[in-house]
Amino acid sequence: MDKNKSSDALDEIPTFNVDNIQNNTRIINYSRTFMSIIGGVIAGILGVNGLTGIVFYFLVMAITTAGLAAKTEFSVHSYFDSWNRIVFDGILGGLMSFVLFWTYPYSLMS
Amino acid sequence: MAEDLVLDTAIRDWVLIPLSVVMVLIGVLRYFVSKLMRSDQTPDVKIVKEGQLIIRARNLRAAANFIPAKSFRARKNYYSNEENGLLHVPKGQAQNPQAQMFSDPNMAMDMMKKNLSMIIPQTLTFAWVNFFFSGFVAAKIPFPLTQRFRGMLQNGIDLSTVDVSYVSSRSWYFLNLFGLRGLFSLILGEENATDDTQRMMQMSGFGFDPTKSLGAEKDNLDIVQHDWALPKFEQRAEAVLKKLVS
Repeated sequence: MDKNKSSDALDEIPTFNVDNIQNNTRIINYSRTFMSIIGGVIAGILGVNGLTGIVFYFLVMAITTAGLAAKTEFSVHSYFDSWNRIVFDGILGGLMSFVLFWTYPYSLMS
Repeated sequence: MAEDLVLDTAIRDWVLIPLSVVMVLIGVLRYFVSKLMRSDQTPDVKIVKEGQLIIRARNLRAAANFIPAKSFRARKNYYSNEENGLLHVPKGQAQNPQAQMFSDPNMAMDMMKKNLSMIIPQTLTFAWVNFFFSGFVAAKIPFPLTQRFRGMLQNGIDLSTVDVSYVSSRSWYFLNLFGLRGLFSLILGEENATDDTQRMMQMSGFGFDPTKSLGAEKDNLDIVQHDWALPKFEQRAEAVLKKLVS
């Protein structure tokens, strides 16, 4: 994601390079999916129960968001078109994968 | 009143893991099969033309601020002129492409093939799960649900005192169905046909696409306010040069 800045640094007129935006968005989705799977396995192994697990999922998502923000050196606008991408995109989609991979170790550990 | 049932390792070995493995394999198989079956599709000339027209109009809208006002107006008029503008579709003809598309045998067959290739593996797997894996507790889901979900989640289990967290293998199947979508997007890359909700939205949008989107593009083009960027470019150049020099 480093080399693909998608908009110019000094804009009053923001211009977007569509390919790079799409690439960056895809990277965000992959990262979130991967983290939700890993987070699910961890939650299952720890034996996290019920509502604590949902909180854990949002914690994992927050860590992912922080990681992505750090990767863009906190200048979100030069890589994406809005803050919403990096914060909200793909959160609910990862929830199902999280639950699946959470159930796995949890029920295996009986 | 949650008795702690201990799940048998035999269940784990012979139910949970094989079911997940089978679903992943079927997904991969379906992806490759759909790639193979997608080979012959000569698109209709008219539809391609309309699609390209929409793309041109959209580019005009996006880059409107970079051309002088007069030339923008000239281009806009070319597209949205009432008599012979390209985007103006008279009401009578609006229905035709849609009807034509659905009666076109090639395209209908194609859509049906895609539909079937989605539905059949799911149905088969579901029937298989029901036949072989019913009547016992398969997994324990980690969060508490209310009693109303009992009928849905514990379908083969006839004891009513068992905690709702213990589910039958049918619900394990559904859990896998939804949860493996994320996994598929990771291992299969972007173009995978395993997400049926996405594809159903695509398919329902395809039939109406040419007629309604032309009108939509025309309206969007009418809305655009032209704000010529050239006067501001001097300051912008100054800022860039300043940054370079300092």
